[in-house]
Amino acid sequence: MTVPRRLKMAKGRMSVMRDKNGKPFVPEDVGVIQLIFKNLKMLGGLFIYNHKGEVLISRVYRDDIGRNAVDAFRVNVIHARQQVRSPVTNIARTSFFHIKRANIWVAAVTKQNVNASQVFEFLLKMLEVMSSYFGKISEENVKNNFVLIYELLDEILDFGYPQNTDTGVLKTFITQQGIKTASKEEQSQITSQVTGQIGWRREGIKYRRNELFLDVIEYVNLLMSPQGQVLSAHVAGKVVMKSYLSGMPECKFGINDKIVMDAKRGSSDETQRSGKTSIAIDDCQFHQCVKLSKFETEHSISFVPPDGEFELMRYRTTKDISLPFRVIPLVREVGRTKMEVKVVIKSNFKPSLLAQKIEVRIPTPLNTSGVQLICMKGKAKYKASENAIVWKIKRMGGMKESQISAEIELLQTDTKKKWTRPPISMNFEVPFAPSGFKVRYLKVFESKLNYSDHDVIKWVRYIGRSGLYETRC
Amino acid sequence: MEEAFYREAAKMPAVRGDGMRGLAVFISDIRNCKSKEAEVKRINKELANIRSKFKGDKTLDGYQKKKYVCKLLFIFLLGHDIDFGHMEAVNLLSSNKYTEKQIGYLFISVLVNTNSDLIKLIVQSIKNDLSSRNPVHVNLALQCIANIGSKEMADAFGNDIPKLLVSGETMDVVKQSAALCLLRLFRTTQEIIPGGEWTSRIIHLLNDQHMGVVTAACSLIEALVKKNPDEYKGCVSLAVSRLSRIVTASYTDLQDYTYYFVPAPWLSVKLLRLLQHYPPPEDPGVRGRLNECLDTILNKAQEPPKSKKVQHSNAKNAVLFEAISIIIHSDSEPNLLVRACNQLGQFLSHRETNLRYLALETMCLLATSEFSHEAVKKHQETVINALKTERDVSVRQRAVDLLYAMCDRSNAEEIVQEMLNYLETADYSIREEMVLKVAILAEKYAQDYTWYVDVILNLIRIAGDYVSEEVWYRVIQIVVNREDVQGYAAKTVFEALQAPACHENMVKVGGYILGEFGNLIAGDSRSAPAVQFQLLHSKYHLCSAATRALLLTTYIKFINLFPEIKSQIQDVLKSNSNLRSSDAELQQRASEYLHLSITTTTDVLATVLEEMPPFTEKESSILAVLKKKSGRMSAQEAQREARVQARENSTVPLPDKAQIAQLNNSTSADLLGLSTPPASQNSTQSNTGVLVDVLGDLYGGSTTTHNGTTTPATTTSTAGATDNIKKFVCKNNGVLYENDIIQIGIKSEFRQNLGRIGVFYGNKTSMPLQGFLPTVSVGGTQQGKVTVQVKPVEPSIDAGAQVQQLVNCECIEDFLGLPDLTVSFTYGNVPQRLALHLPLSCNKFFEPTDMNGESFFSRWKNLSAPSQEAQKIFKNAGPMENAAIKTKLLGFGMQLLEGIDPNPENFVCAAIIHTRTQQIGCLLRLEPNRQAQMYRLTIRASKESTAHIMAELLAEQF
Repeated sequence: MTVPRRLKMAKGRMSVMRDKNGKPFVPEDVGVIQLIFKNLKMLGGLFIYNHKGEVLISRVYRDDIGRNAVDAFRVNVIHARQQVRSPVTNIARTSFFHIKRANIWVAAVTKQNVNASQVFEFLLKMLEVMSSYFGKISEENVKNNFVLIYELLDEILDFGYPQNTDTGVLKTFITQQGIKTASKEEQSQITSQVTGQIGWRREGIKYRRNELFLDVIEYVNLLMSPQGQVLSAHVAGKVVMKSYLSGMPECKFGINDKIVMDAKRGSSDETQRSGKTSIAIDDCQFHQCVKLSKFETEHSISFVPPDGEFELMRYRTTKDISLPFRVIPLVREVGRTKMEVKVVIKSNFKPSLLAQKIEVRIPTPLNTSGVQLICMKGKAKYKASENAIVWKIKRMGGMKESQISAEIELLQTDTKKKWTRPPISMNFEVPFAPSGFKVRYLKVFESKLNYSDHDVIKWVRYIGRSGLYETRC
Repeated sequence: MEEAFYREAAKMPAVRGDGMRGLAVFISDIRNCKSKEAEVKRINKELANIRSKFKGDKTLDGYQKKKYVCKLLFIFLLGHDIDFGHMEAVNLLSSNKYTEKQIGYLFISVLVNTNSDLIKLIVQSIKNDLSSRNPVHVNLALQCIANIGSKEMADAFGNDIPKLLVSGETMDVVKQSAALCLLRLFRTTQEIIPGGEWTSRIIHLLNDQHMGVVTAACSLIEALVKKNPDEYKGCVSLAVSRLSRIVTASYTDLQDYTYYFVPAPWLSVKLLRLLQHYPPPEDPGVRGRLNECLDTILNKAQEPPKSKKVQHSNAKNAVLFEAISIIIHSDSEPNLLVRACNQLGQFLSHRETNLRYLALETMCLLATSEFSHEAVKKHQETVINALKTERDVSVRQRAVDLLYAMCDRSNAEEIVQEMLNYLETADYSIREEMVLKVAILAEKYAQDYTWYVDVILNLIRIAGDYVSEEVWYRVIQIVVNREDVQGYAAKTVFEALQAPACHENMVKVGGYILGEFGNLIAGDSRSAPAVQFQLLHSKYHLCSAATRALLLTTYIKFINLFPEIKSQIQDVLKSNSNLRSSDAELQQRASEYLHLSITTTTDVLATVLEEMPPFTEKESSILAVLKKKSGRMSAQEAQREARVQARENSTVPLPDKAQIAQLNNSTSADLLGLSTPPASQNSTQSNTGVLVDVLGDLYGGSTTTHNGTTTPATTTSTAGATDNIKKFVCKNNGVLYENDIIQIGIKSEFRQNLGRIGVFYGNKTSMPLQGFLPTVSVGGTQQGKVTVQVKPVEPSIDAGAQVQQLVNCECIEDFLGLPDLTVSFTYGNVPQRLALHLPLSCNKFFEPTDMNGESFFSRWKNLSAPSQEAQKIFKNAGPMENAAIKTKLLGFGMQLLEGIDPNPENFVCAAIIHTRTQQIGCLLRLEPNRQAQMYRLTIRASKESTAHIMAELLAEQF
């Protein structure tokens, strides 16, 4: 435990470094640090509540946040009467940013005008770190690990500024095993690593088998009209990498990005056939290990990967999305006391592939008094507590279709309000990338050690999941 | 779980009656929900279940229906919408089981909105239950009616409930509910109570054997009495005899209705309250009995308590305080008043804070009665002590109120001194009000005005921030008006200003007074002119622009008073900070005063800067502020204020009464004329502007305008009132009358011989005006000559509300005078009566006629009989301006014919009066004589009497 404290001191010295004229010293080649200096605004405190609004964790970083802020959030947000709660709440000139995991509320508090997306990014990252330490985020787990959480909070936030949130690095000096006094050598090693140029990887890693795993995970979001017209669609994807490589390897990652492919086509004609498969990426962001200067000039993604699992990049596409499923609803109101609903789903991908975990959710009117269901495949059930019919299918091949028909009995009520017909939503998982994203290559160079690109075993997997996949009816 | 419960319930019929375990399980499920979402899920599930049950083909039995309706009710009360189940609830109404019926009624009174389709069914069910033999069912029905309490309910059951109430067969419990139900319906629809024979039958409920019925009936009767006091007059004697029976009863007599050894406290309080709606009974027997009761209550208060429980003393004191308030209300028994006062005096040192508060509050009322005023004064020491030692600020506030109320000439100095002492430490929330009160007391009871000046200056010194404009305006008014204190005032302010830090208000007062009367103390070398000027100028730069402006006026006055420091002052005026001030007002004053001092001769200067003439005396403007401030004051306080006012008007002569009369008689009372002295063109407009500012509040109430086109408002006996009737001869719309309580506005239009007058009554107070009754009567000379038709208005005007009354009128013949308008109402239990006139004069029926000079003169000659002509010569009151005269003549209703009279100064007019029987031609000639400030008015009309009437009317307008 003494180690982190020392580290903090070292960092503190760095952040107040000034030149002869008293101006803050800004290293010229490090863009990230410049960014931090520009936005000198950050969190004042961080609270974790249980579902009743009792405080489990309370960490205040700045004096402008008082104890009453804790109560203000509880009273105005957790115990608020209205159902819809905005993720950002302003109470008495204090901003509260919260996210909810299961029954746990995590709220970041500040009096300053901070970048809200930065705060949420940090909160999500923090939850990721916490879950990598003790698994599921639940009241029980938070209570059992509160010492650890305070230790983590000390490390990942300094005076309200986010610090290194990389799980792998954190685990090197915040351990769940008892207190272990590090030798002087180890201490200096950790210090040099965290403050050094490559803070996310320590030196001297050795594996017998050099191996790496790439997961391309995509979320498809869709809103479709009853007639089958796409109203909006986009894919949010990420590339997660798990690396078990020795030494300090330099990796180069190639994807079928349109800009890169077009540039290539200009120089040589060999990519004529692959022109179709290139995709237009709307925006993307990278892990801090990626050398942005190289990406800017050469459009090549090169990096020294952290050891273990990390998220290499995130991207978004909106064009040429192949929608894995098509939902065709048919709703007929028979008089005032009956309604017939028929929903057909068609899978729209290669017959050789199998979709999994398919779930269709058909909302029912609020005055439903009984539901009869017939479905060809899977299991369907009327869930009164959610006012919806839930139809689940375990597996479904490509180019197939299946249908469900429901007869809904209605009770006459005294309100004249018409049912608003919420959209039918769907969940699924398919083994391809709906955006058409392809990994072209991942090359590993390690000059000092004697293994080459060919010796590394590489695994690539594509997963397409549903985001908000809705069809109006 | 549900099904299991049914099976179980079937096995155990005993539980089935009222167990409703399903409901209990559901509620505990909800309670155990970990999050809002879980709760919503559980409720959705339950709703779906109930829907499927209600939809199901197999019929539900009463118990199941009851249970589901109960669940729906519970879900509704959690804040979710319920849009079904109404039918099932209505079905429950026809059940014979009490619990099922009860739940049905509960659901309906909570959930059914009045415009539902089901209302007919519900009404039918209620009807059935009302005629049921089972009193419990009747009671349920009555409760439901009262809970819904809509107009429909009143229409449907308006006949049945009164019958139920007075019928001999009805059981007591039902009667009790019926009375309360009727009260509820009466609040929605006033017409529900039938008059006539019912009145006496309802009153006689006070004689009922059952105390519960009497208690309920008492509430009903009180509401009825508020609406129609005369009809229910009979209740007084019954209430008194009932009261005397309760009061004389020992606590063992009334078994169920004895509360901690006090016999029927609630009923006693209600009866006493009921009696407060009437003046003391005239019948000596009844009066004697009432006094006996009050006597007994006062005696009982002296007895040692029968129990140590707080409930005992609370009940006893509730009755006692109500008795005291009726004693104060009747205000006729000196003996009782004094006893009440002594009783309250004991409470003043009681250890219960609430009792002390109530005692102080009630004593405030007692202090306003002439009989008990002296008795209250005995407690002065205790009250002053309370002011100093009381912990609770609200109690201290009451103590201040009481001191204010008990103050009179004899103890004024002492009380004012105590209040001043307290002011230094007083709570901030009551400071402003206290300042006003001190200022008023000091003014009202000042025998020696030097004392008054001292008090006010002290006030400014101690609590300058809380001294409002009105207070220091008032000091100046008084100092200006009273020669004997001017010298003293000048000396005192001079001394006060020498303090190193003095409040801006002090600078203002000092500036004004030294500017006027600085010469009176200039003889003393310590307060030589230069010293005075230096002293004032040392404060100049610390003051706001408004104060600086005032000080600049003081400086120019100094130039007049003390020519020897003229150059010194001119230097100040010339200084850049004044002459080039960023404030336009200051800049203007500085430059104009500077030039005034440079260019004019001393004679002109002396005329322009003459000492201010005395102000017109009016009701102290501070009092008006105090009243406005306590707009939040309770009915009781309002009553107290009204009584204080009444007492002062009758008993304590205002110190300046003689002066007021004298000022009112002299024409120079018009302050406006004085604020524009002959040299005013030379002086600055802003100067007069500021003078008006200083005195602004004097004009605040009245609508008198600057150029004097309208006659000054006349004040009636009522405080702060203005009656503008005379103005209405020449105008159709405007404010007819206004005082602190009511404003009466007029909007009228006339066509030929018909007219329509809209009278607007606005309630300016924060309490409703009760028993509001305006009447218009055509009397005396107008009888048969003019007819008026008046639409009736609602008997009460809500706080801040305005009601309109339409008056249709027709002119049958020409007439003199105005119809009477009498407005009577009660405000805070004090009956008020205003005798006014309806602005309906004969000239309203004029139709202007245009004609050329030739035809005018031929007609003029035709009407040459002496009886057809009326001539008046009178002196002018206001300035003689052509524009103003024209406005008046046009407003009078006649056509102004220009260029006809050979003398352009003269005015000639022509018009026709339309009456039902005839048309009367009317010609007018008005000759102003500017040298003599006189007018000659000649009117000729085709009907003999008309010319005189018109001459009378118009002559008063100049």
